[in-house]
Amino acid sequence: MRFSSNTRILLIAMTVVVLASFLPLGVSGYILGLLTVAFYFGVFAMAWDLLFGFAGEVNFGPTFLIGTGAYTAGILDNLYQPPIWLCVAAGTFAAVAGGVVLALPALRVRGPYFGLTTLVAVLMLQNYVVVDASLTGGEIGLTVPDVITISDTKNYEIALWFMAISAAILFSLSRSPVGLILQASGQDAVQAGALGFNVTKHKLTAFIISAFFSGFAGALLVFYLGSASVGTFVDITVGVQIIIAAVLGGRRTILGAVLGAVFIIAMSEALRPIGDLANFVVFAMALVVVLIFPGGFFGLLTRSREGG
Amino acid sequence: MAETAPLEVSGLTKRFGGLVAVKDMALSVHGGQILGLIGPNGSGKSTVMKLIMGIERPDAGSVRIGGVEVAGWPSHRIARLGAGMVFQHSRPLHRQTVLENIKLALLPDKLTRLFADPAIDQHARTIAERVGLSGVLDRRPATLPFADLRKIEIAKAIARNPKVVLIDEPFAGLTSRETAAFSDLICELRDAGHAILLVDHNVKSVARLVDRVIAMYVGERIAEGTADEVMRDETVRRVYLGGSIETAARPESSFRDAATPFLEVEDVSVFYGKAQALESVSIHLHAGEFVSVVGLNGAGKTTLFNTISGLLPYSGEIRREGVPLRGNTAAAIARNGIVQSPEGRELFVDMTVRENLDLGGQHLPSAESAAQIGGLFELFPILRERQSQAAGTLSGGEQQMLTIARALMMKPKLLMLDEPTLGLAPVVLEQISRALERLRETKQITLLLAEQNVTFALPHADRVYVLEHARIVWEGEPARFAAEMGTGYL
Amino acid sequence: MGTCCVSVVFWQILVDGFAISSLYALGAMGFALIFGVSGVLNLSHGALMVAAVVAAWAAGNDLHAGPYTGAMIGVAVGFATTLLTYFIIVSPLQRTRKIREDEKEIFILTATLLWGIMIQELIGYLYTNNAKTVAPIVEGVMSIVGVRTPKNELFTAVVCWLVIGGLWLLVNRTRAGKAVLAASMNPRGVTLLGIELSQIYIAVWAIYGLLVGVAGVLLGMFLGVSSYSVGPLTASAFSIVVLGGLGSVSGALIAAYVVGYLETITAYLISPAYRTIPALLLLIVVMYIRPRGLLGRR
Repeated sequence: MRFSSNTRILLIAMTVVVLASFLPLGVSGYILGLLTVAFYFGVFAMAWDLLFGFAGEVNFGPTFLIGTGAYTAGILDNLYQPPIWLCVAAGTFAAVAGGVVLALPALRVRGPYFGLTTLVAVLMLQNYVVVDASLTGGEIGLTVPDVITISDTKNYEIALWFMAISAAILFSLSRSPVGLILQASGQDAVQAGALGFNVTKHKLTAFIISAFFSGFAGALLVFYLGSASVGTFVDITVGVQIIIAAVLGGRRTILGAVLGAVFIIAMSEALRPIGDLANFVVFAMALVVVLIFPGGFFGLLTRSREGG
Repeated sequence: MAETAPLEVSGLTKRFGGLVAVKDMALSVHGGQILGLIGPNGSGKSTVMKLIMGIERPDAGSVRIGGVEVAGWPSHRIARLGAGMVFQHSRPLHRQTVLENIKLALLPDKLTRLFADPAIDQHARTIAERVGLSGVLDRRPATLPFADLRKIEIAKAIARNPKVVLIDEPFAGLTSRETAAFSDLICELRDAGHAILLVDHNVKSVARLVDRVIAMYVGERIAEGTADEVMRDETVRRVYLGGSIETAARPESSFRDAATPFLEVEDVSVFYGKAQALESVSIHLHAGEFVSVVGLNGAGKTTLFNTISGLLPYSGEIRREGVPLRGNTAAAIARNGIVQSPEGRELFVDMTVRENLDLGGQHLPSAESAAQIGGLFELFPILRERQSQAAGTLSGGEQQMLTIARALMMKPKLLMLDEPTLGLAPVVLEQISRALERLRETKQITLLLAEQNVTFALPHADRVYVLEHARIVWEGEPARFAAEMGTGYL
Repeated sequence: MGTCCVSVVFWQILVDGFAISSLYALGAMGFALIFGVSGVLNLSHGALMVAAVVAAWAAGNDLHAGPYTGAMIGVAVGFATTLLTYFIIVSPLQRTRKIREDEKEIFILTATLLWGIMIQELIGYLYTNNAKTVAPIVEGVMSIVGVRTPKNELFTAVVCWLVIGGLWLLVNRTRAGKAVLAASMNPRGVTLLGIELSQIYIAVWAIYGLLVGVAGVLLGMFLGVSSYSVGPLTASAFSIVVLGGLGSVSGALIAAYVVGYLETITAYLISPAYRTIPALLLLIVVMYIRPRGLLGRR
């Protein structure tokens, strides 16, 4: 029955997470730092997969939501130095608001136009950040006075458990009745309507959930890095990496996105010795995977065939 | 108090831009009754269904479900009120099992439910049993035959026990055995008390099921009654069959290539996904012969032509002068002399008449191409007048003539004409008819005509095939057709 | 600032705007052509243009080629890379059976995006991310209506229009060109007339490659590019094509001028830092009110 395969996946995932939480005992701070970033990245990718894989909306600008969350949290901290949790909450809220604002025009249009709307949103955010430099730090970036903690291990654990809980929530959502309705809405909105589902309501919800996790993770990441810049949070290249992570990991699997994220970050680091060519190689590998294994890593692991 | 019918429609009107798709439509269906809505392509029958279901908004008129006015409501509200629709094209969720697909239809439209109600599972199983899917509940749609996919669609539509069930082209793509089983299923639904509206091209295929039939043409109702009454109705017959028929056939023995006919289609079957579009179809044509393939919309005529033209994958053999056509690209088949004048015309609408014709003559040296055009202007004088006009601005009849002319530019050995008369006025039909007559007399050209309009198809034909529901059901001379097939055709 | 005479600024905007709009037009028309005929939104567009520029620059820098030869090399590289894009990325994806038909569009988008970034990174690695300009073929300054203008700008505009003119002639006066135009209106119609679509696709990508090569090299001579220009170039082509109507080549031409002038006016009258913003705003407005664009069909 359906449930047992889901619980099996969850159990395996949970085991991996618990094992991973013991990593700091034997692994250098450098690798922990890398994984920390990878985990946040994983949440970005999972949030993207929810929107694309389920609601069927290709979002070329996930960094719009992430950047909004990150910058709001960072700017707030810079200006008023409230407690960190307040900044993060504000960032998350801002991202959700941004998600709603983006969803309204985006849901009225279809196909390439939708992708374009999201792209335009990112460009506008980028322009704004650069132009309003006094507030945002412009092209150089913003540094925040506070960080969550300096300890590598603590940061790692926070990121790990944040990612794990987000994954659990998003994965359960994807396999729940709501996830089923989202899938139907994404695949054939007319039929979903004829079955009695208010498609707009569900897609908007997917947007909000995606925005929530993107903003939350983005804000947390700011307080890990201690800084925010266009190049790390807003740039289209970052958005592309997120999309690649999700597609590499396997569309519509949610959990695969984490695998993809870890892969991308790990590969970029591993290839650092060859200098700037590293990015090129990572993208080349991703391209090969897209061309030859459309099912992604998760698809390979579970050896599930792409449906009909 | 008089009981209100579960479905009542009156004055229903819908316009798409300047086109009136549905005009002043009225119908009512009671519980335990099946109403058939029949019409050719473009008659508006599918639009009526979409209007009832809320997929399109009516411009005027009323739709009442269980006495509640729902015209203008979004489809999900109408569905929740008590209507279910079985779409023509099955789109199940491929990653979910059959059971999960059915459960989907039972879910409430809520955002907060994270766990499914266990009662839903039981309910879904009951529904599956009702339609005959109990054996495949744990399988994924990709592994199932087409008939089972259709059953999933029915299960989804009736899941919440709606008062009104709308079914679009119930038998499209099914084999004859599956069609019978499906008919029985629909009858059971009727007996259980649902009000059922069926939409189809073909009165005959739904005749056994329906209690009453309404025939539509160009958006309006033209007849209502029992299936028999509608099949015999004068207006309906005129619309479908045209008027009286005269024939001028040449006997088959007069063609010289008896041993190896010019074109042989042998045991060809074509599937669209899982739906069967052609089933073991075999026809043959002799060089210089004029053969008509007669059949209603949805029978498979266009599929047959597209298969011969190389646009669709098929099983079976198609041979031209003894040599199999398989392996050639569609463009190559056209270049070598098997040319289609397609149903959709496929004109280059922003280019002029002359440019369209020039494109047809691409493969000829320019002098020869110009000469060809001259000849075609003789055949269709109106095109000469309109040669600098954009093709999209021509009338329907002129466009049809351009389509035929353009096909003739390719100097075809076999010209396949797909429904050239669709939607055209009788005057234009006359012109095209005369042009075909001249072609038949003056050129050594083989003609294959696919038509619904029997009056047009028969007078020129040497032989006739009847295509019905993806199968060839009759072959013979035109004179015999009128005698044997006349009443049974609809 | 120089002279504050209004008419001088007006003429400067007119000339500058014309030159940059012509450049945008060339690139955008190619982008629209590809979408109109083969239905592909090529997100590696910017990368192809930058590749052409950098090749021209490298020819001048490393091979010490003259400006004319360097330009030719740049165009050739742009052309070759574009065809490569078709043969190793787009065409295999269009033909594969491993992906469902309705998902192919996303995969092609992602793959071209990836490909573009790969090229960007490779260029950055081989030649650094610094801005590069290509030695102009025509140097010096001339006076138009009392305004000093680099001759290069005029050269750019002239070459662009020669190419656009050539494209128009090709499409409207030659048999092959008309076949391409017909394919953009109705691919099935073209097949039924015995013309192989696969050949049309190759022809279209070849034309696109030429447009991209020339536009890239001219851009290099006019403004200069760096590997960071890849994203903004693709985005601007995409925006122009949407404004003009997806799939309409003439729409892209008109929209390019609208965008080019909007940018120039903004740069002159408000500030160069804000130059891209009005076009973006216009795009949002258009998408809200008339998503089809000016002359769109799809």
